[in-house]
Amino acid sequence: MDWELLLGIGRFVLATTLLLLLTVPTAFIIIQMEMKIIAQMNLRFGPNRIGPRGIFQSTIHGFKVLAKEDTVPDQADRSTFTLAPWMVYMAAAMSMLVIPFAPGAVAADFNIGIVYFFAVLGLSVVGLLVAGWASYNKYSLLGGLRSAAQMVSYEIPLTLSIVGAVVLAGTLNFSELIGWQLENGWLLIWQPIGLGIFYISSLAEVNRTPFDMVEADSELVAGPFTEYSGMRFGFFFFAEYVALFIMSGILVALFFGGWLAPWPFPAQLTGFAGTLYGIFWFFLKTYIFVAIAVWLRATLPRVRVDQLMGMAWKVLLPLALVNLFVTAIAVVVFDVKGV
Amino acid sequence: MTKIDPDITIPDPIDLDRAEEERLRAAAGLTPVRTPGGEYAGFEQVGIPDRPPQTEREREIYTLDEGEMLVNMGPQHPSTHGVMRLVVKVRGEIIVDIDPVLGYLHRGIEKLCENATYTTVLTYVDPMDYLSTMHNEHAPAIAFEKLYGVKAPPRAEYIRALVVELNRIFSHGLMMGFLALDMGGLTPILYAFINRDEIVDMLSSISGQRMLFNFFRVGGVNFDTNDEFLSRLGTWRGRVLKNIEMNERMITDNEIFRARTINMGTLTGQQAIGLGVTGPNLRASGVPFDVRKAKPYSIYNELEFDVITQQGGDSYSRYLQRIAEIKQSIHLIDQIIDKMPHGPVQAQVPGIIRPRPGRAYGAVESPRGLYSVYAISDGGPNPYRFRMRDPSFISLQALPKLMPGRLVADTMAVMASLDPVMGGVDK
Repeated sequence: MDWELLLGIGRFVLATTLLLLLTVPTAFIIIQMEMKIIAQMNLRFGPNRIGPRGIFQSTIHGFKVLAKEDTVPDQADRSTFTLAPWMVYMAAAMSMLVIPFAPGAVAADFNIGIVYFFAVLGLSVVGLLVAGWASYNKYSLLGGLRSAAQMVSYEIPLTLSIVGAVVLAGTLNFSELIGWQLENGWLLIWQPIGLGIFYISSLAEVNRTPFDMVEADSELVAGPFTEYSGMRFGFFFFAEYVALFIMSGILVALFFGGWLAPWPFPAQLTGFAGTLYGIFWFFLKTYIFVAIAVWLRATLPRVRVDQLMGMAWKVLLPLALVNLFVTAIAVVVFDVKGV
Repeated sequence: MTKIDPDITIPDPIDLDRAEEERLRAAAGLTPVRTPGGEYAGFEQVGIPDRPPQTEREREIYTLDEGEMLVNMGPQHPSTHGVMRLVVKVRGEIIVDIDPVLGYLHRGIEKLCENATYTTVLTYVDPMDYLSTMHNEHAPAIAFEKLYGVKAPPRAEYIRALVVELNRIFSHGLMMGFLALDMGGLTPILYAFINRDEIVDMLSSISGQRMLFNFFRVGGVNFDTNDEFLSRLGTWRGRVLKNIEMNERMITDNEIFRARTINMGTLTGQQAIGLGVTGPNLRASGVPFDVRKAKPYSIYNELEFDVITQQGGDSYSRYLQRIAEIKQSIHLIDQIIDKMPHGPVQAQVPGIIRPRPGRAYGAVESPRGLYSVYAISDGGPNPYRFRMRDPSFISLQALPKLMPGRLVADTMAVMASLDPVMGGVDK
């Protein structure tokens, strides 16, 4: 018996279980943030009844969703209708595998982590499209098609925007990328244009305001989710907030030094203490970006679907290409370390 | 154009098999509606009437070309401003045709008013355009005073002008909020409601009610100003400009908001006149028509103000027009407070009015345009005929003209900029 292999499998199962469990409090925390922060910005109180200052409101919402009747429209395509929430949720949960929480706290620290991440997170769009098609509802259909159109537009600048960073650091592994940032400073300094493009496209990727026209409540009721109820709707909802968390986490890992503290990492902190320290900084930075996304939602109106596509193709894509070109030339000319 | 056979009868769809349904439908001049999956969906799809089309227009909207589908928005839809139903014919996301279906909020107010005494009519018109209650009462009050030959005392006229301008301010403020809400901006509507609440509190302290004020009487108003009203008015006046500026900072210069509204739903002055659109929507298209100036009623000829116009005629101009009018209303309120005379607020009018047979017309400038009332008396205690012209109904006519060629997302944005209130549309 190969004990190494068994140990590896055991570690993988443990890590995935932990990550799947992590999605639940993550979604609850972000939903709570969304309710409370937007309420404060709207000069409302927000939830304040369940628990001290209403902190258990989103948890109760989660249980409520569990208790609701699960309906399937009469003429819906039952099998794909059932499958769609699972696809969206699994896309979000699977992409969590490569998130670098702290040194040593990465579920699967493999060498093409960045490629894997974008490949897997992109799958969620398939789920939305399937949900839109299978629901037998015209709002759902329009929402599903919007998500497909949106994916074609933003996914290219999103991926191209980080190629500059990858070229600079010379790695596709998140941990090594953070290691490069420890030595050379955060990529925020080296790739400001890449950061801007990535941030805008990542908001579109997770369907956040101002790019939330997939669900566009004032036009399409709830887009692909219109016909869903109960825990199936809950899975979509969870996936959306988990995706927001993941996108903020990847933004932090790529451009804001991941688990690194804003000042030099203390050398004496190794092992478990170092991991905890890294987790602290990673979550702090990630939730700052989550809070910014919530802030944007309270402030901005929604752009139109053709405006997003026009911006993605006419502005972001050329900018990303120019950014990549300039970075590549600079890497060759100045002989940057890592190439 | 195929001839429609009026004799054709379509039996209950449940009894028919699908081929039979399709055949009957084709005979009726309708293209079968197909679902995304390509299956025939039956007659009840998007509520296509279960009968041959009655008019050319009905046939036009319910006939689909290749690649088109009908989307039913409302009456239960998050942003149809009440209970309106829009049948939208789309090709992909592009709107081909749009057909507003009205009547979901019809309460027969005109008929109710014809069965009520002149005094109680003023309570029935309140819930029509529920965002401009004071204006709703003002027009019949003017008409009935003409009919009965009584004049409201000067102080009553000043109080009327004051509350009417206050009402205009909160109505325009809400329009700004709803416009942002229909584009996905969550916050402006709540700020607008906070500002509305201040004014509503003020008006409830003078009238005793919060939403349907029921403040006007034939020959005057119900109550004189009181201390609470005046103190609330003073507090509000002190900070209103700052509040408006806050809303403006949030919306007016927002890039996304501008991209969604500029050159969107452009209504030319000529078109607007042709459709009969009035009020801010007409003035935003560059036509300087304001009932307060054109046919001065109440005390508006004693006050100094200009007719503001915008040149664009698009959603953004309609928005800017509202802001400009809010500022102008504040200017008017300042003048009214300065000039307000002392005296009684109610003329001597009996409990049940029996005007001489005749007819009278009263028109006011409501936040949505020319709101007018035409009343005929046959000498009895209630109007023989009571007809209201509601500006929202007319503004809504512009929607099918503005939308073809635009995207689904623009429907709500343009509709919100026209600012219809379904209570008024359906009466």
